[in-house]
Amino acid sequence: MRPAGVALKWVYLGIGLVLALAPFVWMISGSFRSEADLYQNPASLFPTSLTLHGYIGVWQQLPFLRLLLNSFVFAGVTTALTVLFDSMCAYALARLNFVGRNVCFVIVIATLMVPFQVTLIPVFIQLFHLGWLNTYQGLIVPRATSAFGIFLFRQFFMSIPRDLDEAARIDGAGHWRIYWRVILPLAKPAIATVAILNFTNLWNDLLWPLVITSSNDMLTLPAGLTLFGGQHVTDHAILLAGATISLLPIAIGFFFAQKYFVAGVATTGLK
Amino acid sequence: MRKRIAVAVAATAIVALGLAGCSASTGSGDSGGKVALSLWTGFTGGDRPGYAQIVNDFNDSHPNIHVTMTVQPWDTIQQKLPSAWLTGQGPDLATPSSDPNAVADYVKKNSVLPITQTGSGKDQIDTDKLAPGTVKEFTYNGKLYAVPANFATLSLYYNKKAFAAAGIDEPPATVAEFAEDAKRLTTGDQYGLVLADNQTIQMWPILQWLEGGDIVDSKFCSVVQTSAGQRSLSTWSDLVSKEKISPVGLTGAEADSLFSAGKAAMEMNGPWAAPGYKSAGIDLGIAPIPTGVDGTSVTLGSTAPLAISAKTQHPKEAQEFLAYWTSKNVQEKFSLKTGFPPLRTDLADDAKLKSDPVISVFAGQVPDSRLYLPHVPNATKVDSDAYTTLIGQITRGTPVDTATKQAASTINGLTGCSS
Amino acid sequence: MTSSTTDRVSSHARGGTRSPEARATKSQPAEVGRARRRLRWQPAWLFMAPSLIILSVFVLYPILRTLYYSFFDWSVGAAVQPFVGLGNYVKLFRDPQFWNALGVTLEFTIVSVVLLIVFGLVTALALQSEGLASRITRSVFFFPTIVSLATIGLVWKFLLDPDIGLIGGITKALGLPPLAWLQSEQLALPTLIFVSVWRSLGFAMILFVAALQGVPTERYEAGRLDGAGTIALFRYITLPGIRPTMLFATMMLTIQSLQVFDLVYVMTGGGPIYRTDTLVNLIYRDGFVNFQTGYAAAVSWVLFALIMLISLLQLRIFRYNDVD
Repeated sequence: MRPAGVALKWVYLGIGLVLALAPFVWMISGSFRSEADLYQNPASLFPTSLTLHGYIGVWQQLPFLRLLLNSFVFAGVTTALTVLFDSMCAYALARLNFVGRNVCFVIVIATLMVPFQVTLIPVFIQLFHLGWLNTYQGLIVPRATSAFGIFLFRQFFMSIPRDLDEAARIDGAGHWRIYWRVILPLAKPAIATVAILNFTNLWNDLLWPLVITSSNDMLTLPAGLTLFGGQHVTDHAILLAGATISLLPIAIGFFFAQKYFVAGVATTGLK
Repeated sequence: MRKRIAVAVAATAIVALGLAGCSASTGSGDSGGKVALSLWTGFTGGDRPGYAQIVNDFNDSHPNIHVTMTVQPWDTIQQKLPSAWLTGQGPDLATPSSDPNAVADYVKKNSVLPITQTGSGKDQIDTDKLAPGTVKEFTYNGKLYAVPANFATLSLYYNKKAFAAAGIDEPPATVAEFAEDAKRLTTGDQYGLVLADNQTIQMWPILQWLEGGDIVDSKFCSVVQTSAGQRSLSTWSDLVSKEKISPVGLTGAEADSLFSAGKAAMEMNGPWAAPGYKSAGIDLGIAPIPTGVDGTSVTLGSTAPLAISAKTQHPKEAQEFLAYWTSKNVQEKFSLKTGFPPLRTDLADDAKLKSDPVISVFAGQVPDSRLYLPHVPNATKVDSDAYTTLIGQITRGTPVDTATKQAASTINGLTGCSS
Repeated sequence: MTSSTTDRVSSHARGGTRSPEARATKSQPAEVGRARRRLRWQPAWLFMAPSLIILSVFVLYPILRTLYYSFFDWSVGAAVQPFVGLGNYVKLFRDPQFWNALGVTLEFTIVSVVLLIVFGLVTALALQSEGLASRITRSVFFFPTIVSLATIGLVWKFLLDPDIGLIGGITKALGLPPLAWLQSEQLALPTLIFVSVWRSLGFAMILFVAALQGVPTERYEAGRLDGAGTIALFRYITLPGIRPTMLFATMMLTIQSLQVFDLVYVMTGGGPIYRTDTLVNLIYRDGFVNFQTGYAAAVSWVLFALIMLISLLQLRIFRYNDVD
């Protein structure tokens, strides 16, 4: 590439990097700043005086560890279930011939086209009839499968050569064996992709835990942090501290897993 | 074979999850003879400790009843409460909204219990002594459906330092001085009077009332488009759009932030804001709202309804709790703790309250307070669709006659006004 | 495995009754054929059972229930729910708020998706290599996608605040008057679009990186041998090569953008004066604030139909038949 082209490329990327990172730097630094500091020095990215009252406030006013536990249980268990159920469903859609296969797939995709807020009230009433309100199973089961995950797995499975299935069949394997022993191990990138996307979406989900739970100690962390908002409540440090804290586990997880994720999307062979 | 086992495992897992109950208690039920009541409130602000105190004191003094209060943001309550009460899953008691008009909808759906334990006896709610507008506000078809959880008036907060710097000795006493001061105090770095128009306890109705106008008449027909209505709006909309005394489109929280930061010289706000302003280091002054063009005092009164679920299993104890909440000693303690005026008229001459500088200003204005859109049909929608839009338009330069005409037709359409 | 072995294996598999996926041949008698067909689909339904059950009970049934509500003047918990037939739909077509929301949503979607595709592709082109710098930069760009929309809305709202925001502070330091980005009638929607693109750019970029890496290098060499320059290579080799991903990305981003809610709710609440009021914001407001659940349900179904229509159109335009 010509030097001018290279320079242009890095200027563009440089601006992009600054734009991508600056808001987070500001968020973290803001969580340590007092209101007065924020107002007097808006142009500065860094605190002129450090204060921990944001974090102390969050700690004092919430059953913090319980919320963290709830978040992990909810996001973790649900994600594991989605990986299992979505891949099973996708295996059928990708590998098995049956009447109504295309219809099923279209219906699955169609569920992506309805915004969540729309089905909230009917689902709430259903959970009530099941007695699952304010319980872990009520939080988890309705979310234990994801149309997007089914789609991703299906595309990935379709790109795995059938020779391997055939070889396993000669050895006398039934479908479950093929799925479990042949397809899944090859699907690690897709598993990583679906797991990361679903985990982060579930972790960040506010509306769902807020509506399904009726006591504060069943909330997830991000949902619990909304308790600090309000019509006439203005303590930016607490809000930003809350945002930073709920971001931390995701950021740490992302830092370790991003290799797999980026590779995962790349080799999922989205075709 | 294997696949059948695996699917069976999956199915069992689902069923097992269904049977395993890891639920937290929802609060309603008996535990060894003790009546447990659950309460949802939306008081996430600086007044929160006051309510927690009421609950604690009640639990201490009533050993056979235990109330658990869960605090959530108002929007959350709005999203959950209708379905929760419909399915009987909700709390025994709740403040459905910070908007008193919201009760109307719950009454229509028979979700709230009519309150019958009224009177002046023990464990009875003394409705005669409650702030008058509130009882009327929560009475529908002759029955009382909620009590005020609190009662606040708006007063004029002002920054003494800013006033001194502009050479103004006293806070404005009349609406003319009010406008004058707002203009003078607007300098490059500072807004004279910061006004919020959305997601807030409304401030603009006060300005209208001061200028001799109003929003609807007694038949719920719009009067903003009348000449009086237009005049009541144009003075201040010009001040905002031309003299820039305030930024446009602020939420309540944003307006409060500006005042906290010393970037606004005046703000009309309720007692909940005082602690925050003081801890922000503002040299704070609190004055009654200036008098209007006709010389009378007026301000906005705001109250949140506290209601009982129609499906509660403990109506008697729930009403006992309401009686406690609104009783004299409890309200005196609450006022002293939060700076709110008491919601009882028989505390008007209470010595302790009178001597408190913050409370006395707010309490003194209770007799002159008016509610925003009281009992107006579809009040919530009138506020969001018509009034907020109207203010948003005129403060951005839309001519007052055009904007009010539009608002009038929206309002009349919503309230069913037939003129 | 040589292909002849595969053939032999396949025919062996075809003959046995233990392989449910056996391709039925015309020589089989009808009964065995039917039995085989039964065996063929049965495991499929077992595999799909957990997902299908959950989707049916907790997604499909509520969607259908919402359709049912839309034919009533429905309000959660009301004693009487009068049947209004198509009344809500008629009301919708006469409602200026609906048309406003439709316009806002379409404007938001078209502009965001175009910007995301263009900048996503450009960024992906710049970051195709697997070098360390490239991979780190890609991860940084991708990071905003995994942050919750509520946090992003919150942080950007503060950043853009004319009085305490970084942007406001910088413009003031430069001597310019700070703009009230989110309170301005003209700037509110563009600002929202900017934040939305900022957030999802990394996602689009990753999709395109994957696609670009999937275009075989031989094609480029062949093209270069034919004397094609950079632009021609891009037009005739790159673009066709990534077409499937282009379709997928466009459809995915369009479906998401048409449903935008969280950012709007946190940053502007639909204001100022409904300039950023999107369809889902309208649905939320009518359903949860004004308690007109029936009407909100009708708007939801119109939105659903719209999303279906636009998706089908996109499939048509790309003339791509393999997605199903």
